[in-house]
Amino acid sequence: MRKILYPIFYSVVVLCVFALQVNAQPAEKILIKGRIIDSKDKLPVIGATVVEQDADKRTITGVATDIDGNFAIKVSDVSHKLSISIIGYKTKLLDIGTRRVFNTTLESNSNSLSEVTVTARQQTNNGSGLVIDKRDQTTSTVTLNAKDVEELQATTIDQAIQGRLPGVDIVSNSGDPGAGMSIKIRGTSSLNGATNPLIVVDGVPFETTVPAGFNFGTADNTQYADLLSIAPSDIRDISILKDAAATAVWGSRASNGVLIINTKRGARGAPTISYTFKGTLTQQPGGIPLLSGDQYSTFIPEMFMNVNGTPLNTLTVKEFAYDDRDLYYYNNYSQNTDWVKAISRTGNVTDNNLSISGGGDKARYFASVGYNGQTGTTIGTGLNRLNTRLNLDYIVSDKIRFTTFVAYTHSNTEYNFGNDKINGSGRDNVRNIAALRMPNSSIYEYNEFGLLTPNYFSPASNVQGQYTLTPASTTFNPVAMVNSAQNNLVNDRIVPHFYLQYSIVPNVLNATSDVVFDINNGKQSRFLPLTATGRPFTENTVNRAYDSDYDTYAVSTKTNFVFTPRSSEKHSFTGLLSLQTNDVKSVTQTQLITNTASDLLQDPSSPGRTNANDAITSPLSQVRSMAALINGQYKYLDRYIINVALRGDGSSLFGSNKRYGLFPSVSGRWRVSGEPFMKKFSKWLDDFSIRGSYGESGGTPRDPYLFYNTYVPTSTNYLGLSGLYSNNIQLDNLKWETLQGLDAGINLIMFNNRLNIDFGVYRNRTKDLLTPNLAVSSFNGYNSVLLNVGTLDNQGFEFSVFSTPYKSKNLIVEFNFNISNNINALRSVSPYYPTQSGNVTQNGEYLSLLQINNPLGSFYGYKFKGVYKDGNATVATDANGNKILSPDGVPVQMRFNYPATDYVFQPGDSMYEDINHDGNINYQDVVYLGNGSPKFTGGFGPAITLMGNLKVQAYFNFRTGGQIINGTRISTTSQYDFNNQSTAVLRRWRTPGDETDVPRALYRAGYNWLGSDRYVEDGTFLRFRSITARYTFAKSLARRLKTKNLSMYVTAENLLTFTRYTGQDPEVATTGEGIGQKAIDYSTTPPLKQFTLGLSASF
Amino acid sequence: MFKKKIYKVLVFSILAISASSCGKYLELRPQDGIIREKFWQSKEQLQSAVIGCYNAMMVSAGSRPSPAESFFVWGELRGDMIEPGLGASIDEVNVVNGNILPTNGVTDWRNFYRVINLCNTVLDFGPGVKSVDNTLSQEQLNAFLGEALTLRALMYFYLVRSFGDVPLKIKSTSSDEELVQLAKSSQKDVLNQIVADLKLAEGYSVASFGNNAYDKGRVTKFTVNALQADVYLWMDNYTECIAACDKIINSGRYGLVTGNSGWFPAVFATGNSSEGIFELQFDQQILNPYFAMFATTRRRYAANTIVADEFYTVDLLDENNKDIRGLDAALKVGDQTIYKYLGLSANNSRTQDVSYAHWIFYRYADVLLMKAEACANANRGQETLDIISTIRTRARALPGSALTPATTDVNGLTDYVLAERARELAYEGKRWYDLLRNAKRNNFARLDILSTAAVRVVPAANQQSALNKLKDPNSLYFPIFQYEIQTDPNLIQNPFYK
Repeated sequence: MRKILYPIFYSVVVLCVFALQVNAQPAEKILIKGRIIDSKDKLPVIGATVVEQDADKRTITGVATDIDGNFAIKVSDVSHKLSISIIGYKTKLLDIGTRRVFNTTLESNSNSLSEVTVTARQQTNNGSGLVIDKRDQTTSTVTLNAKDVEELQATTIDQAIQGRLPGVDIVSNSGDPGAGMSIKIRGTSSLNGATNPLIVVDGVPFETTVPAGFNFGTADNTQYADLLSIAPSDIRDISILKDAAATAVWGSRASNGVLIINTKRGARGAPTISYTFKGTLTQQPGGIPLLSGDQYSTFIPEMFMNVNGTPLNTLTVKEFAYDDRDLYYYNNYSQNTDWVKAISRTGNVTDNNLSISGGGDKARYFASVGYNGQTGTTIGTGLNRLNTRLNLDYIVSDKIRFTTFVAYTHSNTEYNFGNDKINGSGRDNVRNIAALRMPNSSIYEYNEFGLLTPNYFSPASNVQGQYTLTPASTTFNPVAMVNSAQNNLVNDRIVPHFYLQYSIVPNVLNATSDVVFDINNGKQSRFLPLTATGRPFTENTVNRAYDSDYDTYAVSTKTNFVFTPRSSEKHSFTGLLSLQTNDVKSVTQTQLITNTASDLLQDPSSPGRTNANDAITSPLSQVRSMAALINGQYKYLDRYIINVALRGDGSSLFGSNKRYGLFPSVSGRWRVSGEPFMKKFSKWLDDFSIRGSYGESGGTPRDPYLFYNTYVPTSTNYLGLSGLYSNNIQLDNLKWETLQGLDAGINLIMFNNRLNIDFGVYRNRTKDLLTPNLAVSSFNGYNSVLLNVGTLDNQGFEFSVFSTPYKSKNLIVEFNFNISNNINALRSVSPYYPTQSGNVTQNGEYLSLLQINNPLGSFYGYKFKGVYKDGNATVATDANGNKILSPDGVPVQMRFNYPATDYVFQPGDSMYEDINHDGNINYQDVVYLGNGSPKFTGGFGPAITLMGNLKVQAYFNFRTGGQIINGTRISTTSQYDFNNQSTAVLRRWRTPGDETDVPRALYRAGYNWLGSDRYVEDGTFLRFRSITARYTFAKSLARRLKTKNLSMYVTAENLLTFTRYTGQDPEVATTGEGIGQKAIDYSTTPPLKQFTLGLSASF
Repeated sequence: MFKKKIYKVLVFSILAISASSCGKYLELRPQDGIIREKFWQSKEQLQSAVIGCYNAMMVSAGSRPSPAESFFVWGELRGDMIEPGLGASIDEVNVVNGNILPTNGVTDWRNFYRVINLCNTVLDFGPGVKSVDNTLSQEQLNAFLGEALTLRALMYFYLVRSFGDVPLKIKSTSSDEELVQLAKSSQKDVLNQIVADLKLAEGYSVASFGNNAYDKGRVTKFTVNALQADVYLWMDNYTECIAACDKIINSGRYGLVTGNSGWFPAVFATGNSSEGIFELQFDQQILNPYFAMFATTRRRYAANTIVADEFYTVDLLDENNKDIRGLDAALKVGDQTIYKYLGLSANNSRTQDVSYAHWIFYRYADVLLMKAEACANANRGQETLDIISTIRTRARALPGSALTPATTDVNGLTDYVLAERARELAYEGKRWYDLLRNAKRNNFARLDILSTAAVRVVPAANQQSALNKLKDPNSLYFPIFQYEIQTDPNLIQNPFYK
């Protein structure tokens, strides 16, 4: 504890020493009297504040006027000033001097109730504390204001900024409530798992990772939206730092880019109350059409018969007997159940937000409370979130200023149950199981007399399989699962942030200090009920209750000194010294109990059995880091701007030999338009600049203590003796991952800001890639290791246009467009890195090959040519199309993987192209099929403002290129097991001569669904992301309704998607790591159609 | 002016203090484990590390099969006594059909090498404990080292019998500096290492821990002897094999449990009987993997239909006259359930929550039959017949399963021992290794043993291709799992699978 306190203590003390410098001049008090009256009606002003102020405008003492406007105050120094203020009047500042009686008037100020901030130039901030004019920016940074996104039904800000910023690729992992997004800024620069950017809130990094030991056990790889629990309506602006020179000031954690978020603050004026309401209906788009129960039960026996010619024995497989004397089986297995429909519903979202802001000369406030309630389109999913925020500014004097930000969020997210054993694969997702579940089985059980009971029909096992923890063929009753299982996460997070600003030398040297405490507690409760799986009570999958709890406590400090010497016409300079520390401590506890007595006992404190591994775990981890940053920006003649920074970082994640890292950066801007020779264009050219930058930033591993070899206890005893084993490889060579970024760009502003063009190219090279789960030969005793190996490049361009093509009093037309492209390629790898993954001799698998300098995410497979229509077609042919004959004249049949597998293709089997015409389909016939990375991504949209109060805004986003493996189509047309199939299989091959593209059904045999281009589809799409019509009531009308501002709007989102992709949604996040990464679509809940009605009013 | 000086002094002194305390501030250690610098300090820690090696044979790291599961799968899947059930994975079906590819998950040896590495860790760091902990005697240290040496030898023995040539690693890996990319060592070299390790272990190990459960569950001198017998028999070194068997037989510590209805519960359901030499002891805390393999409706394995009729034979006149090792012991006849790990007695079977039947590596009957096999090949045919007779009498074997080879008929004796081992040690993970050992003897003189076995089990559609593959002796060993080939350029795939 003492160690934690040291850096905080130091940084606070530094400022306190400055701040508490008070001119201690004991002096006699002097009495001053007076009366305040209104300048117009001459009536006394009651309750006006009369304050003695020193030269720094610090309040020394103060009184209020009485009912007659009289006051009396004892001042300590006659050189001070007297300030008289009250809301509604202009503040008056008077010298005291020798005057002892002040009878004065105050002027009414009713027209300037709210503060009008006139900022000549928009300013940007890289979050570190250095404030720079936007027009002098040397790096690639984009900023989005709250206005731009407030109409969207965005629960989190990542949803709000999706598709609006060039070079920022945000893909939703799932449309379920509470599901997060994967944010990629200029591609994936790391293989280290975490690809989300660093998020800086109000100048201090915000933890967005959960403790390593916490087991989410989610149904798919959705991240948790609670991690960024800031209500979009509290946000003033969001900036994204893209190039390495901009992110270098954040050093060790910034290699994935930086997102800067500033929250709203109070402004001087009477209280302004704002209320916004959003109500949304959400609808699940239609999925792949599946077989009905009747179609399914004619399909299955055929599939079985095709293998050996022996019929399915319906005496033992009674699911297909349809014997009406056996009422139990007959009724339970003769239904036409649409499982997907049975677990879906129309979802809704309501969002209420109330905020109040205002303040006086000394104190300003912004407070908000918001409630967001969602029910998902899958039964059992939902989100309830309460946000509160209080931002207080107190201006002690011109020199000292305190700010406090306190944010509290409580959220309760309900997910569908997911099995922790296959966390992340998405395959036991309830929607996926529902799609594959036998459609002839019943939701509720019929008893042996054929009567419907209210019990769920969850047989312990049937021909389709059973529930297992290691899912070879997991299945369960999806309706029972969504209704009686539970998986919810309750999160409480409170973030108090204290900020102190002190002007050591006014307008020249400022010091600021931030201390942020972040207390983040979450508890996930999961319960797997017997009713969903039907497993016998002797098994430990029954009534399995999990609790997982994490408590994170983080302290961050930042102490800044900003030096701004008075600039002359020619030179200007700003410098920054920043000292930062960060300490994150987390405890995770999990508990597990199985076989509780009832479905209703869902808490692991209930008695049960615990003969399962990891019944109780409680890992603890702590990570500390500290950093120092020097940053300066120099401008000469308003034309030549250079920014230099150097950051040093130390982190406890590394061993003592590699603990510190240095991250320099340099960037510059040449304002060509400012040159004398450009003067002639100055009529229409506002700004033309060229900028370039180089910077380094670092990456750390996710888990602590990797440089130790740790011995941990075995989870069970042997012969009553406890054991220990060596758990990991000690990483002696662990070091920083370094990203070196090069960036060049052009800014062009023309026609009086009507056309604003930004173009940039970049190359981010990541060296010493931290590669986790690097496969090592298992004779080393471990499966995988994390090593610093290889070099990864991300390169591409970004282009954006903001334009106002037409502007008149009654009509403003704006049009924005952005497009970007990112290519990543491995430049070198370690010899330990497996050069291929995937197995082309197995159905459903694609090959990934590592080729240096080629983009990651490429996959290879066979060419699908249709189906062998008859016995004649299966004969092998040579390059000229002639049949190949054996030496004794017998036609040679096409074979698969001779000699190891040696399967002879039969009529009705899938036909793959025999590239080398050797009559043998094997690895030599595997060709390049595609790459999951899109070519271009971007968005565009017009905004039209009519008569100043009706604004219609539309937004489209698009991705071009990128091949997606349609995983759902693989599993719904494989015709390989008892899973339900799509209606495409109705046109399967059945008798010789059939010409079709769907092969015959073969139960667990054949090679009909090898990884081929049959399942690879183009992921290009154009999505009509949103359209909003907002009507702002005219001021006069609004005032009659007793409001200051009043507006209403309707928004429709995800209305239309233009794509040739046949799966649910073409926006698929890449799964897998390293070379194995592919875009495989397993049909998680796609982005939903949403209709929002909104109202916002301020009083 | 003075104020500014104070600021300067303050700022610099604070910076200086911060800088000097940086190192300590950033020094953090894990709290839910012991780091190596603090481990290997006492004999208790040494014992825990040894126990960890046993534990590693029972658990799977990652989703790969545990060694305990592979003991069964490797030993039986290519044999002729089981057939895949509805729950068998495609990989397992492919092994039965003789269609084994390097991508077949059954061939994943990862968890064996995990045990080997843990043993190596004990062998590398264990001797250093003595210099720190004075209460650790040389005998105690040796006993611990003997356990680690024997377990390592046992793991390598499984690997060479299944894969032929395998990488031989006898140094532990504890840091990323020590990662290596090895080539394969020849089967002969690995076996020599095993023999050397066992010689050392024989001298190190205790004869008894003074506790019956420990004597059966941990490595004793006789565990080492039993393993030596098996290894020498594999190496066709009959003299040494017989010598090792005799050490056990003459120790007087082991005997055959009487062959009545109590035999099955005593040896298999309860375990640690007088017959047991080395048993992996599952218990309430750690259940064995076998229940799920045989018991569920979607079981992975069932007994081959011919086992009851052709292996044990049936007395058509008196159904109660039966070989005690067959029906209701090795298997259930009605639904072909493999019963050895499920039964508590003939009619009373386990439920999943008590499925902790031991895995028996070696028991006395096994040792006797190993000696019988060695004798058959060492011109001591009469002893072979005597031992078989002892085993059969105890088991009340039926006359239908008796053979009458001459004492000089090596082939006939071999077939008889092999058949008797199948009956005695059914489903104890021995069958494939027995078939292969006898087939490979004298430069694969008896490949007919394997083709006879294949005919019994491979489905008609795959039979020809399976029989053809068996003609190539290289196909008798598993391929090296694709994962290993991908991670190590020095590893060369076994010849048949290139």
